[in-house]
Amino acid sequence: MSRFFATGSDSESEESSSADEITPKAPGTTFTKQSLLLSDDEEDTKRVVRSAKDKRFEELTNLIKTIRNAMKIRDMSKCLEEFEQLCRAFLKSKTIVDKEGVPPFYIRILADLEDYLNQLWEDKEGKKKMNKNNAKALSTLRQKIRKYNRDYETEIASYKENPMASADEEEEKDEVESGSSSDSDDEPADAKSFLKKKSATEAPPPNASKFLKGAADEESSSSDGDNEDWDSDTSESDSGSEDETGRSTSMAVNFLKKTSSEGDRHTSEKKKEERKKRHKRKERIEEEAEEEAQEEGEGEWEKVKGGVPLVKEKLKMFAKGTEINTTVVVKKLNEILQARGKKGTDRAAQIELLHALANISNENNLGEGILVKIKFNIIASLYDYNPNLAAFMKADMWKKCLDCIDELLDILFNNDKIFIGENIAEDSENLASDSQEYRVRGCILTLVERMDEEFTKIMQNTDPHSQEYVDNLKDEGRVCGIIDRLMAYLEMETKGSTEEVCRVYLRRIMHTYYKFDYKAHRRALGLQGETKSEQDAEESEGEDSAFIMDRLCKYIYAKDRTDRIRTCAILCHIYHHALHSRWYQARDLMLMSHLQDNIQHADPPVQILYNRTMVQLGICAFRQGMIKDAHNALLDIQSSGRAKELLGQGLLMRNMQERNAEQEKIEKRRQVPFHMHINLELLECVYLVSAMLLEIPYMAAHEFDARRRMISKQFHHQLRVGERQPLLGPPESMREHVVAASKAMKMGDWRTCHSFIINEKMNSKVWDLFPETQCVREMLVRKIQEESLRTYLFTYSSVYDSISMETLKEMFELELPTVHSIISKMIINEELMASLDQPTQTVVMHRTEPTSLQNMALQLAEKLGGLVENNERVFDLKQGVYGGYFNRDQKGGYQQKQGGYNRDQRGSYQQKQGGYNRDGQRGGYQQKQGGYNRDGGGYQRQGGYNRDGGGYQQRQGGYNRDGNRGGGGGYQGQNRGGYQGGGGYQGGGGYQGGGGYQGGGGYQGGGGGGYRGGYKGGYQNQDRRDY
Amino acid sequence: RDVAKRARMSSAASSATRAGSLNGRPGRSCIPIGPHVVLKMIKHYQEEGQGTEVVQGVLLGLVVEDRLEITNCFPFPQHTEDDADFDEVQYQMEMMRSLRHVNIDHLHVGWYQSTYYGSFVSRALLDSQFSYQHAIEESVVLIYDPIKTAQGSLSLKAYRLTPKLMEICKEKDFSAEGLKKAMIGFEHMFEEVPIVIKNSHLINVLMWELEEKSTVADKHELLNLSSSNHLEKSLQLLMDRVDDMSQDIVKYNTYSRNLSKQQQQKHQYTQRRQQENAQRQTRGEPPLPEEDISKMFKPPQPPPRMDTLLIAGQINNYCQNVKEFTSQNLGKLFLAEALQGHNS
Repeated sequence: MSRFFATGSDSESEESSSADEITPKAPGTTFTKQSLLLSDDEEDTKRVVRSAKDKRFEELTNLIKTIRNAMKIRDMSKCLEEFEQLCRAFLKSKTIVDKEGVPPFYIRILADLEDYLNQLWEDKEGKKKMNKNNAKALSTLRQKIRKYNRDYETEIASYKENPMASADEEEEKDEVESGSSSDSDDEPADAKSFLKKKSATEAPPPNASKFLKGAADEESSSSDGDNEDWDSDTSESDSGSEDETGRSTSMAVNFLKKTSSEGDRHTSEKKKEERKKRHKRKERIEEEAEEEAQEEGEGEWEKVKGGVPLVKEKLKMFAKGTEINTTVVVKKLNEILQARGKKGTDRAAQIELLHALANISNENNLGEGILVKIKFNIIASLYDYNPNLAAFMKADMWKKCLDCIDELLDILFNNDKIFIGENIAEDSENLASDSQEYRVRGCILTLVERMDEEFTKIMQNTDPHSQEYVDNLKDEGRVCGIIDRLMAYLEMETKGSTEEVCRVYLRRIMHTYYKFDYKAHRRALGLQGETKSEQDAEESEGEDSAFIMDRLCKYIYAKDRTDRIRTCAILCHIYHHALHSRWYQARDLMLMSHLQDNIQHADPPVQILYNRTMVQLGICAFRQGMIKDAHNALLDIQSSGRAKELLGQGLLMRNMQERNAEQEKIEKRRQVPFHMHINLELLECVYLVSAMLLEIPYMAAHEFDARRRMISKQFHHQLRVGERQPLLGPPESMREHVVAASKAMKMGDWRTCHSFIINEKMNSKVWDLFPETQCVREMLVRKIQEESLRTYLFTYSSVYDSISMETLKEMFELELPTVHSIISKMIINEELMASLDQPTQTVVMHRTEPTSLQNMALQLAEKLGGLVENNERVFDLKQGVYGGYFNRDQKGGYQQKQGGYNRDQRGSYQQKQGGYNRDGQRGGYQQKQGGYNRDGGGYQRQGGYNRDGGGYQQRQGGYNRDGNRGGGGGYQGQNRGGYQGGGGYQGGGGYQGGGGYQGGGGYQGGGGGGYRGGYKGGYQNQDRRDY
Repeated sequence: RDVAKRARMSSAASSATRAGSLNGRPGRSCIPIGPHVVLKMIKHYQEEGQGTEVVQGVLLGLVVEDRLEITNCFPFPQHTEDDADFDEVQYQMEMMRSLRHVNIDHLHVGWYQSTYYGSFVSRALLDSQFSYQHAIEESVVLIYDPIKTAQGSLSLKAYRLTPKLMEICKEKDFSAEGLKKAMIGFEHMFEEVPIVIKNSHLINVLMWELEEKSTVADKHELLNLSSSNHLEKSLQLLMDRVDDMSQDIVKYNTYSRNLSKQQQQKHQYTQRRQQENAQRQTRGEPPLPEEDISKMFKPPQPPPRMDTLLIAGQINNYCQNVKEFTSQNLGKLFLAEALQGHNS
């Protein structure tokens, strides 16, 4: 409002009346301002410039205003001051002025000021009356302005010649500036002639608004829009009046001109309406666009001029140019595209415009080339529709997008003369001529990839338990279809480079790998006699997904040069193998890929895929009865307790310090859509059951071993949770079932264990989710029996002198050979100190296991060794370097003895470890060593030697303990020295090993010599960290 | 009757301690304890203590000349989580006031505590005993070992802090140097005070009578041959302490390494300074201003040694226990062997 008053105050009466006219519209303005706020926050560069210009000019006009005020009251000193400021301000806005030309109001003030000063100068009387300051200022100002005006002589001259015209020109120039200059040529160059033309067609109305109303009534389009138009127009003229301060006539002219242009537009619209119906529709769209743009831009007058006429003018232009040929359409397309990404442009309208354009080109038979080009842009603008990355496409947009891509592919398939490519430059495009091949810039692959991403986004953002999700999921078929078609297209010779083929293959793989191929499964099972499924099979005699995967992946392995695609392909391939229970292929592929070495350097989505693959691999191993492998594969994911997050199946609740909103958004974008999820409960159950099958016998075997390591921390945690329960009811959840089963197994009670693991509840929760439920269950029962037998023997071997295998067979319902093999294995691995008596089929216990007290004493000795070692270090420090040297020798001798015990103890420990490892740990892909590990195998045999020694020593242990331990220790040290190398060094190890709290890990990992590193693999490392 | 029998046996135990009192300090003769104090303590443990849980209570008595006599006691109530606002001091005062009303000695002369396999040397015990002894010099802590008692011999021992340790506790100087200066080792932390259980003649008579009446089997708890359980537990505890010890040593090691490293740095720094100053002097420039070296090199915090000392004391205690137990057991085994040989 203050602006209005300001203008009113120094302009003449007519202007103030126009201001009055405007004031009632003020509420409208505020409303539109609000809509401006609501509109998106995207910045467009051009607007920034404009607003800068706006600002500068406003500054200038304000200064001019004060100068004029000063002129009125003849305050010369003020005038001088302000003039200097004005000059400075003008200099500041030099860049803008350079671009836009010298603003006319500036010239005007210069001219006026000079005239005024001359006038004052002449007026001797007045000059005499002036005070000294003023007189002085007058003379300096006069000199200054003379000098200054010399630079603008021509402008001033032209202004003086025709003050009116220059005012018009200014207005016009604005117009020209705002529109892109190319098509302003039909805009009347001379405002006056234009005015005349106007008055010829329609009598100059006394009231502009009235005229406008009339025009609106005539028009078929909604009057609402026109009112809006009018609104904006008045405000436009108002703002125009602002910069033409004090020039009432120009105001009126401006207004008239405005209305006339409006009228012009309307008439042309009408014409169009008569001519083509399509145009009318377009007009409406344009109307809408304009309306919206105006709504958005009304707060700033520059904006309105920039945004609205742009689209509007263009369309009209095109419509007028009746001859529609390729160049025109391309030009038009470029125009539309220029508006892309700008603040004022309505994206929906843009899409419509492009569609319309496509129709036009279709109707005019402009050829496929241009159509393809337009389609590309339509799809691109569909993707552009959502301003930020997080938002997903609306259903109708999505449908449109799919349709469009389909159509585009249709065209491409039907016409093999079209070349598309990203690297075709704009100017080398060939859209028109039929004789040559079409060359179109654009990449269909990128579009399809983007489409796929959009699909993922849609799925991510839909509630997975709603019908909507199912509906959306149905689109996957189409997505796959499109990818398939694109694949076919790119596979055609000369259509796609190998990289592109790789990319599209990867897309295809991504849509295949996680789906279980039931048909292939059924076929593999050779299910006969089914009536319905037979038909099904006949219906879809397509390729097995396995075959497809194989083909695509192998192509990628061979051809791909970007590491990422290959990595993804391998992972998907493994996943697919694992999903279909092809365990060995999956495992070998995983081992060969060496992915586990450097997967931590990959980007998060690939890592998620890796985790998914690993998990699937683990589950596959479980189904195949490879419990250890299953456990190893799942350990990493499960032990962290963040399986959900690691698999990209949901976010964990965490406080905001760890993750701000931005990160959360990023993480959300990484989530795997629901239909690809891996069942977490199944995962955990598989993990816990395999941990149970490993851990319970292990625990039984190492009951007294202080350095016993947990195989699975997670499992122990569950056990502890179970123990903490004050009241033990029948198990409810899956975990409780497993815990209860573990307890039963600890007692060697396999029947109870079995009933806990496999029952109604667990079936429905877990086991029925496997494809080969029955096989898995049978495998499980068998494993439970075997492991229970082992546990039983470990736990109760001390109670028996001998036990018949027949009895064991009955107890555990296993076949005699199995019992025999299990016991033999235990004996070989020296887990069970016993021998088999063949004739009577009995196991005879040797009872050489140290009692718990003996074990305890051994441990204590070890710890004391550590303590002494530590203590001597203190002494070392006290002694300084010299003493230390001497001292070390002594210590070495001691340590060797000390090491003797250690070795003894550890030997037996490791031997068990080793035995465990030997069972098949080697295959573990978890072992980071990979190839190195296999090397270690050779060493390990040496380790076997060691183990012998260990066992021997252990048996000796009994004597040693009673008798001269020192001697025994020395002997053992000797025994060891040969092949273990560097007794002193290993003795040093004794220190660290002794410190149980140090984790013993440091010792084994670091100092433990070559061979030990060899067979230390996955879970051991893991455990050590947990210590 | 069971309890009475224990009491009787305790007289034997106390006689053993009396023998040991010869090495004790001459100024402090052995402490007579009323029989009902012992019974009350045993009862308290049997009612409330179990496993590793310990029970505690207050000893009351009087000081005659320089001799302490323990004539009564009362237990601290078991703490539960529910009544956190329970005021222990208030309870003690109340209790003592009430006892005074019935004319019982109300001088607070110490406290008692049960123990689990002899693990009582701890910071808590040190602190509370210090505060007792700080208030009343004669205060003692009575340690009752229920497990040993269950094996056939009453185990009740009275301890005081040595005057040296009192000094140190008063000054709260637990650094290595302080302890070294005070010449204190784990052996010199606690001194055992001999005790004797004084029965009235009437009770003695009763006991004799009871002994006559008791069956033979009752007396043979002492001959139990099983050992592993007890030893295992002791070893387990011993091992834990050894672990703690090595941890402390490692801590100390790091500390001393850091210290020496810093010393070196300091040394280097001062040398550089000196060199530079010498150079400056030759050039005729003023020497660099003195800086506070101690500020630049903050010495690392030395680990407190008191805990280590306590652990050492505890280890010593365990070892003594084990030694005692094994020698007894060996004796028993030889006995059994001889018996067997005799029989066959």
